[in-house]
Amino acid sequence: MRKVKIALSIFLVIILLVGCTSSKPDATIPAETDSPSASAAEAKIINLGKEVELASMDSAIATDGLSFEVIAATIEGLYTIDAAGVPQLAMAEKAELSDDGLNYTFTIRDAKWSNGTPISAKDFEFAWKRLVNPETASEYSFIMGVAGVKNADAIVAGEKGIDELGVKAADDKTLVVELDRPVAFFNSLLAFPSFYPINEAFYKEKGAQYALTADALLANGPFKMKTWEVGGTTFYLEKNPDYFDAANIKVDGLNYKVIKDTQQSILAYENGDVDYVTLTGEQIVNYQQSPEYHNIVAGYLWYLSPNQKVPGLENLNLRKALSLAYDKEAIVNDILKDGSIAASFAVPTLLATGPDGKDYRETARTFPSTDKAEALKYWELAKKDLGVSSIKLELLFEDTESATLVAQFIQSEIETALPGVTFELKSQPKKNRVELMQNGEYQVGLTRWGPDYADPMTYLDMWTIGNPNNYGTWENKEYDDLVNSASKGELASKPNERWEALKKAESIVMDQAVIFPVYQKGNAVLIKPEVTGIEFHSVGVNIFYKNADKK
Amino acid sequence: MRRYVLNRLGLAVVTILVILLVLFLILEFMPGSPFNDEKITKAQRAVLDAKYGLNQPALYRFIHYIKAMLSGDFGVSYVIQKNMPISTMLEARLPVSIQIGVQAVLLGTLIGLILGIVAALKHNSFVDNLTTFISVIGVSFPSYVFALALSYFLGSKLKWFPILYTSSEPFVSSILPTIALSVFTVATVARFARSEMIDVLSSDYMLLSESKGVKWQRLIFIHALRNALIPIITVLAPLVVALMTGSLVIEQIFSIPGIGSLLVTAIQVNDYNVIIAVTFVYSILFIAIMLLVDILYGVIDPRIRLAKGEKYE
Repeated sequence: MRKVKIALSIFLVIILLVGCTSSKPDATIPAETDSPSASAAEAKIINLGKEVELASMDSAIATDGLSFEVIAATIEGLYTIDAAGVPQLAMAEKAELSDDGLNYTFTIRDAKWSNGTPISAKDFEFAWKRLVNPETASEYSFIMGVAGVKNADAIVAGEKGIDELGVKAADDKTLVVELDRPVAFFNSLLAFPSFYPINEAFYKEKGAQYALTADALLANGPFKMKTWEVGGTTFYLEKNPDYFDAANIKVDGLNYKVIKDTQQSILAYENGDVDYVTLTGEQIVNYQQSPEYHNIVAGYLWYLSPNQKVPGLENLNLRKALSLAYDKEAIVNDILKDGSIAASFAVPTLLATGPDGKDYRETARTFPSTDKAEALKYWELAKKDLGVSSIKLELLFEDTESATLVAQFIQSEIETALPGVTFELKSQPKKNRVELMQNGEYQVGLTRWGPDYADPMTYLDMWTIGNPNNYGTWENKEYDDLVNSASKGELASKPNERWEALKKAESIVMDQAVIFPVYQKGNAVLIKPEVTGIEFHSVGVNIFYKNADKK
Repeated sequence: MRRYVLNRLGLAVVTILVILLVLFLILEFMPGSPFNDEKITKAQRAVLDAKYGLNQPALYRFIHYIKAMLSGDFGVSYVIQKNMPISTMLEARLPVSIQIGVQAVLLGTLIGLILGIVAALKHNSFVDNLTTFISVIGVSFPSYVFALALSYFLGSKLKWFPILYTSSEPFVSSILPTIALSVFTVATVARFARSEMIDVLSSDYMLLSESKGVKWQRLIFIHALRNALIPIITVLAPLVVALMTGSLVIEQIFSIPGIGSLLVTAIQVNDYNVIIAVTFVYSILFIAIMLLVDILYGVIDPRIRLAKGEKYE
């Protein structure tokens, strides 16, 4: 009996151990042969190290930079963005615009999906309607309204049916889009994944599985997903032979590895396992002199938002004092050191090109940056206005390393420059920080905004009355009229006057110290010298690999 | 024995239900939601909450969740891999964690036992001192120190092993993480094996057995080791669960797509269903191993078996 029990126990242990290890389901882990082999030296494969998992390949569901980047590597919309940031025809062969700027007629190019089905205008109609369909619950459904497509906002709000959207496939080759106002940046929006086509038949065939696995995806772009392991730390895009411009794609594949530990990602880079990594924090200093080091200006603007409802912060002099009292150059040069630039503006650089062909910031006003003496003068005025000799404020920020360092620095700068001002620090996980700010439960918050499209309006409409991103609930009728006219009113069809109006709007934001800009985010990356042609953009899809090459 | 096991199983089910309920309530009262981003407006969040049923009260969701879970439906991920069924995520990730965990447990226990036994037999010798040294180092250094050191020397400098996990080479690329993970086990097992063995070896019945002329192999492995095993198994049990469910740090460092790193990411981004499912798996494993250990106690030590027999049978 005893021996039987011993045998039984041993058996149980073995079952547990062996059973667990051998239960690896073949169905969910793709065959090993699918992965790019490291030994195939002749194959040109760029290995990319990324910090986060690929969250979604569904163009209506994705919300993060990596997802957009990979979707854009596999799918092309009517337009794509070239190296200079200018929209270029892609799936559309020809685009015609009516004189009133309201009706677009796109002729679809002869191109195929990776399953051989021709690209049809219907694929666009289907995808666009799916995006605004409340059932899809897309977090980017608002962008159809930003593009000015007729009835988009009403459909998203559930007031109209999806078939009333101003998009129609007249036939397989002709897509007609109706706008409710002229939109200056319409073409560049069309290069964003929300506007990419989806083949309806394929989508319906895959059902709930659509875009969840490599074989539930279609590509019409430079690359197609070959392997995407569920929960995997690697996914591999191979060159798409069916891409219409496949002859100009120089690499055989993009091999993504998700490496969350920054130390290890550097080691993997040094080891030659990856050709591209993002640097953070202290590592940046070690590589700044390296020829493989690159600074990429991103679109994110980090700023402090003062809550107008907090007693004291409704006072312009106090806001101005605060906005001038901290050394932005020190923040970007001594704390972040990642290529971020000091921001003294509400609309970042390299965001939008005006009707004159120049970057918005080149012709827009420059605003005062750090000036502690001036700040002190405003603080003295504020003290008189408010009848106080000191004020205590709470600074809300998220608990990441960089945000914490920046918040601590701002605290000490302001407290030193403005005697009598006390800042209490309040650190929260990002999601909670956002929720607190959205609910107006904060005093001064360190927050950021990334652009959704290449136009100053992506920032400026945030500070209109009732906009959910106007956390501080600042209100100014003149500003609202200006912004509304420029986005949906009479200025919308007058590009030059509109541009000037936008500059004026920005001046109001800065003069009224509605926000206290801190910095425009930069990314520090290492790229192996043999890899060339990766194109970076600060708006929309951040990275394109169409012209990438590896020697 | 059977009644004892059945009792324990019943208790396990209740325990798991309680754990899940508490988890649901904690998540309910925690600030934030999976859909909290600068870009999402309140109206959109309401749409998303409605789509995933998050607008329902926690208790209602709890009952629904348990119902769905019984049919193998753990819901979908909200953030990490949007709309991916969690059962699919676990199916892919769990075996990876378990494979590396089991390897680490086996390696760690084996080396730990050998070191401990040899140290006990050669008390106060060089091996004994070495074992003590290894134990102290292994217990006091966090595993990521070993992980980074191994990656740097064996991975990057000598290029013997890959420093990142790849599913095309599940064994070779799991060597470094296995070693890094097993260090703590080696240290713990060696320490306990050593002190227990010294204890047992100096006891009277060992002297008696030896004088009866029992062969040394039998003496050490049957008479001594068996007596020394109980405390070792007691410390090993929770360790096994911890290793099998994946060490967060080790998984992070070696880019292992296991469930340990999944849980931490899920907590950071409020991916509710993932948090609940991983905790569920963790609890099941923990309870199963504890049950197994209880049974093993009886097998190894007849005294415990008798005691339990009197109580339960």
